[in-house]
Parts: sequence; structure tokens; C-alpha cells
Amino acid sequence: MPTLDFTQSKPLTFGVELEIQLVNTRDFNLAPDADDLLRRAAKDEGAGELKPEITQSMIEINSSVHERYEPLLAELRATRDNLAAHARQMNVAIAGGGTHPFQKWRDRKIYPKERFLDVSEKYGFLAKQFTVFGQHVHIGVASADDAIYLTHALVRYLPHFIALGASSPFYQGVDTAFDSSRLSVVNAFPLSGTMPFVSDWASFNEYFDTMYDLGIVKSMKDFYWDVRPKPEFGTVEIRVVDTPLTVNRAAQIAAYAQALARRLLAERVDWITPELYLAHSYNRFQACRHGLAGTIVDPQTRRSIPLADDIRNTLRELAPHAAALESSGALERLTTLTLADGNDATWLRKVYAETRTLPDVVRRQAARWMGEA
Amino acid sequence: MTADFLPVWPPAANSFALFGLLLLAGLLGGRVAATTRVLPAITGYILTGFILGPGVLDWLTEDALNDARIFADISLGLIVFELGRRLDIVWARHDRWLLPTGLAESLLSFAAMFALLRYFDVPALEAAVASTIGIATAPAVVLLVAAELKAEGPATRRALWHVALNNIVAMLGVALLLPFVEARVAGAPWHPIARALWLLAGSFLLGYVAFRVARTLARFVGKSDASQFILMVGMIVLTVGAAQVGKLSVLLALLVMGVCARNLDPERRLIDIRFGHAARLFFVVLFVLTGATLRPDQFGTVAWLGLAFALVRLVGKAVALFAFARPARVSINQAATLTLALTPMAGLSIGMTQPIFDIAPEFGAHLAGIVASGIAILSVLGPIATRYALIKSGEGEPGERD
Repeated sequence: MPTLDFTQSKPLTFGVELEIQLVNTRDFNLAPDADDLLRRAAKDEGAGELKPEITQSMIEINSSVHERYEPLLAELRATRDNLAAHARQMNVAIAGGGTHPFQKWRDRKIYPKERFLDVSEKYGFLAKQFTVFGQHVHIGVASADDAIYLTHALVRYLPHFIALGASSPFYQGVDTAFDSSRLSVVNAFPLSGTMPFVSDWASFNEYFDTMYDLGIVKSMKDFYWDVRPKPEFGTVEIRVVDTPLTVNRAAQIAAYAQALARRLLAERVDWITPELYLAHSYNRFQACRHGLAGTIVDPQTRRSIPLADDIRNTLRELAPHAAALESSGALERLTTLTLADGNDATWLRKVYAETRTLPDVVRRQAARWMGEA
Repeated sequence: MTADFLPVWPPAANSFALFGLLLLAGLLGGRVAATTRVLPAITGYILTGFILGPGVLDWLTEDALNDARIFADISLGLIVFELGRRLDIVWARHDRWLLPTGLAESLLSFAAMFALLRYFDVPALEAAVASTIGIATAPAVVLLVAAELKAEGPATRRALWHVALNNIVAMLGVALLLPFVEARVAGAPWHPIARALWLLAGSFLLGYVAFRVARTLARFVGKSDASQFILMVGMIVLTVGAAQVGKLSVLLALLVMGVCARNLDPERRLIDIRFGHAARLFFVVLFVLTGATLRPDQFGTVAWLGLAFALVRLVGKAVALFAFARPARVSINQAATLTLALTPMAGLSIGMTQPIFDIAPEFGAHLAGIVASGIAILSVLGPIATRYALIKSGEGEPGERD
């Protein structure tokens, strides 16, 4: 029977994983160039860790572990510049965004690596449909029990992350009317959703053992939860964010998660109850469907509140934590976003309204990610 | 009293019947090729043409072939336009080894073929023209094999870029040699040069103007797939016609049009349209006709020279592609894929050599005698090599025929 060992990590250190799109520069459909890009970038030093993903047109960037926002942003920018240079030499472009607006999933090719071939075997067409692009934020915690606590507490705020990062309004060639259509793709997997309502690491381990005995899971990787403890890294991992259109936004969202975790770990909230989860699926839908214009239910006050207001209130409360973490600028930028600019889904729809074609949208979103616009 | 309401007997074939028959025969040939699991459908089309053509059954007579040339010109027009769109000049700025690799690939294969032909005492001018034609990879073969396998990826992209470039180099080369060919026939030096200038400058200008017109029309038409499809087919066929009327190079004009569409349209007013099933019709006819120009004897008596020609051409391309692989950060596997993918060679009677036949039929015939066996061999082996390379590279999937 496997016991999950929780690696200790320095609290409030953080890092991000970004799944990004490789597109061709001709019609801006996805390009199966992951292998070639990884090969070319393999010898580069200090440019972040790169990994293949489920299909050939995706790669994943892993940042190092950071304590502060600025160095994280600097590293992401350096990685982006390096990848963009390689991409230009290959005549492909790289784009952010939670979905590719018009690719057809049946055209995708599974990346030939054992784990991905297993996923494909296990999940059939879902594997190719899983060609969606997310940002994962890892936050370091001191202990396994803290990880369980923080995983629960963050559920209250997941709609914030969904709405702030939403960048997948278009999917399979249509405007889905969602700001984040990506999460609907994740919903199809049997082990998606949220962690069960366990109170500590010991009971989590019991749950995991049962699932292992039943033959349902082999490792933590098999859970596609919205937020989950990551015992190998000693972190809690937020997984609901669409890959934003810029690395700047990705770093800002990570800074928000870090500040929020600092507050939650310091205050030890008392509202972690099963009701939190009852509200979550409704709130999650609101955030996916309407983005910042959604309305969520606060499980504590039992009142409806506009999501954008809830985010701004939270950002305001986090100000001292952001100051301590030297990320006030990042959080201020997010406040502006909720007030005026709108999220990336808004930007994508605006570009589509101007250009009237989805390949043009991808062209502009790639230029944006590569730092040309 | 004559029953003049009845058709004459035996029925005379017309262009419609011919087009239909070529299509159906090609389709069946393609199916047979597909069942082998080794041959691309193109080889089936070519073999069908070969069997039906003057070389074997002679059901497709020379006259019928001439009637059908218009279909071949239209399909070549569509193909080279599409090819031109693959020649992204910005790419050559970011990958500084791309253009040197392309030029080296063209020049080394030229040098190898020229040396071989001179070694076997082929006169210099004939050797130069034959070797210049040999620089070009058959664009239709590579594009269609790639489409058939749904091949996409780094090697396919690079291969198509090199095909576009080596076609331009070959077309320029042929145009430059044309005055020498004509001087031999007519003996007046100024006139042939004027003709070459007209051919080159006129074709470039026509391609550019066609692009500008298409782009202007696109503003009115909008960006819907269906409208732009009609727009592009209309413009391409019109340009083919204009090139013929103006005695210009159909291929060069359409290639220039495609290159302009890719590089001089930053807002992408001309969207990337897929010619799809409708264009496939013309391509089937193109290859059946290509096959019909082959003769059995080309595989016989002088085949060894043709084989050597094909071989040194391949070696010339391979040396350049492998030599530049390391600085260009192209993997050895990709270099091998590129080499094999560039193997196909276009037939003599269709495409870029047409001006030579028009000006100097005898020279053309002589030339054909020299390289016909090489072309015959490469028409059969070329598509197979390209197909093998694209599958082996993992970028094309043999199962995904449509």
C-alpha cells in the first residue's frame, strides 16, 4: 500500500506551470512542433524547464520556485523570449489562451510518451479533446495538514482565479458564450472536481489508499481536481486558471494566489464546511460562463454578490499581505482589470469583432504572447 | 433521308468526356495504388496515364492530350500558388541558414547533374538546361503527397519552403538560358534576350498585379471561406489565362502571386483557403496527363544514364542539406526527410520547360531524349520517396487517407 509522503517546502514560496500553444504562421492552426521545439531548447541554460504535454502542439513551461513576484516575472519573460526566438527560427508562433479557438480535436496527435499513450488508451477521445491550456500555480506550505487546510480554503476563491484568467471563449470554431470553456473539457474526466471533504493529511491518505485499492488511481497525477495538494513538491496547486495571453498576467495571478495563501494561512478561517462545496459548483459555473460579470453565492453570508466586487474586496483586504510579499503592483493591476479592461476573454472577443476571423484572432494572440503587440 | 438527330458513330470524344474519363480512370488507379499500402495515390494516377497514353494503349492520343492541357495548366496554377504561399521570407530572416541551405541545395544538385552530363559528352547548353530543370522538385507531388498524408510539422514545412525556392531558382535559370537556346535556333542575339526579359519581368509583374487585384477584391468580398475560395480560383484561372495570352510563364506568375500573398499582406486580407475536393479533381487529371507523357522505352535503353542523373541530383541535394543541418539546428533525421522529400522531379512537357518547346522544338526533343529516362524513373520513385520520408518522420500518417 503506498503512503503519500509530503515533502516539506518553504511556506509561501511559489511557482507556475504554463501550458502553451504552438501554432503555424500560415493559417494559425495548431502545429505539431512540440518535439522539435523541445529538442532545440534542450541545450539552453537558465530558460526554465520545458516539458511535453498530451498532444504534439502543446508544451509546458515550469518556472523555478520563487519567493517574490518580480523574479518570477523576470524568469517567465526570459523563458518566453527564448522560446519565441526558437519558434521564429522554426516558423511557428506561440500563443497563450486556454483553448485554441478553432482547432479540431480529431486532428491532434498524442505525444508519444508512455504516460500520454496510457491516458489516450484509458480515456479515448477525451485525451485528444484535452488539448486545452492551463496555468497551474503552486504555493509552498509547511506541512501536509496545512496543505489540506489551504486546499479547502482556496475553494472559496477558485471563481476569482477562473474569472481573472479566463481566456477560452472560443472552442472548436465557435463562441461558446463562456469566458472559460476550457474547464468544461476538464469536467468530462471521471476524476475531475474537487478533493473530498477530509480534515487532515491522515484522512486524506486513507482516502487515497482506498482509491488505490479499488484500482482507480495509481498516483496523485490521476486526480484532475480544481485545486489539490501536491505532496512531491510540498505545495498546494491551483489548476483552474486558463493560460493567460501574456506571461505578465500569469505572474500577476500567481502573485494573487501567493498573497491569498499568506492571509488564509495566517488567519485560519472557520468557514470550511461542506456548504463551501455546495456553493462551489454553482460559483464555478458562474465564473466560467460569465467571467468577471458573474454572480456568486458567498457560502458564509448566504448572499449573492457580483464576482467582480468580491474580487475587488478580496484584493483590498490583501493589500498588507501584498505589501509584505512585494507584489502590490501586481495586485493593483488586477484591480484595474476588474474595473476597466476586462479579462483576456474580453480582449479575444474584441479582436474577433474587429477582424471577423478566428485565424486573425490567433495571429494577434500569438503576437501578444511573443511580446510583439 | 439522314437521321441527323442521332449521334454520329463512332462517337467522337469531346473535352467533357475526356475530363470525366481521365478523372474516373485516375480515381481507380489511385485506389489500386492505395491498396498496396506503399504507393501514394499519385503513383496510381501516373501509372494510369502511362497505361492509357500513347506509350502503351494509346487510348489517350496526342490530340486528346493537347485538349486536356488546359486542365493541367489550371491545376499547376493552383498548386504553384499554394506553394508560393509557403515561401515565408520572414522565416529566412529569423533562420539565417535557410536561404543559404536552399541555394546550396539548388546549386550543388545543378553542379552534380551538369558534371555528369558533360562527362558523358552531352553538349554544354543541353547539359545546362537539363541540369537547371533538375534543380526543381515537382511541387505538385510534394504538396499532394503531404496533403494525402495530412503531413504537418518542421520537416514538412521546411521541405515545402525548399521546394518553392528551388522552383524559383530553376525558373530563373531556364529563363536565363532561354536566349542561348533561341540564339542557336534563330541566330539573332538581341531578340532572344528581349524575350527572356519579357518572360521574367512580365511574369513577375503579372503575379504581382494579380495579387494586388485579389487583395483589393478581398476587401469587398470579406473573409468568408466560400467567397474567398471563389475569389482565389477565379484569380488563379484568370492569371493562368493572362500568362498564356501574354506568352509568359504560368508557373512563375502564379508562384510570384503566392509569394506576394504570403509576404505582402500583413493584415491577411487574403485568408488561407484550402482548395480541397474541388481542386483535387484537377490534380488527378494533372497526374494522369503527366503519366501519359511517359514512354516505355524511356525506362529501357538509356535508363542507366537516367538513373545516374537521378542519383547525382539526389546526392547534390543531400550534401547541401546535411552540410547545413548542424548550423541550422536541423536534426539529422530532418535532413534525411528533406533530402528524400525533395526527390520528385517534374515532367518536361508540362510546366517550366514549355517555353523551350515553343521556341525550339528540336532542341526540346533533344533535351527530352537526354533526361527523359531520369524523369521517367523519378516520376515513379519520387512520390514513393516523398511519401516514405514524410511517414518516417512521423509528420504524415499513412492511415489518414481521404
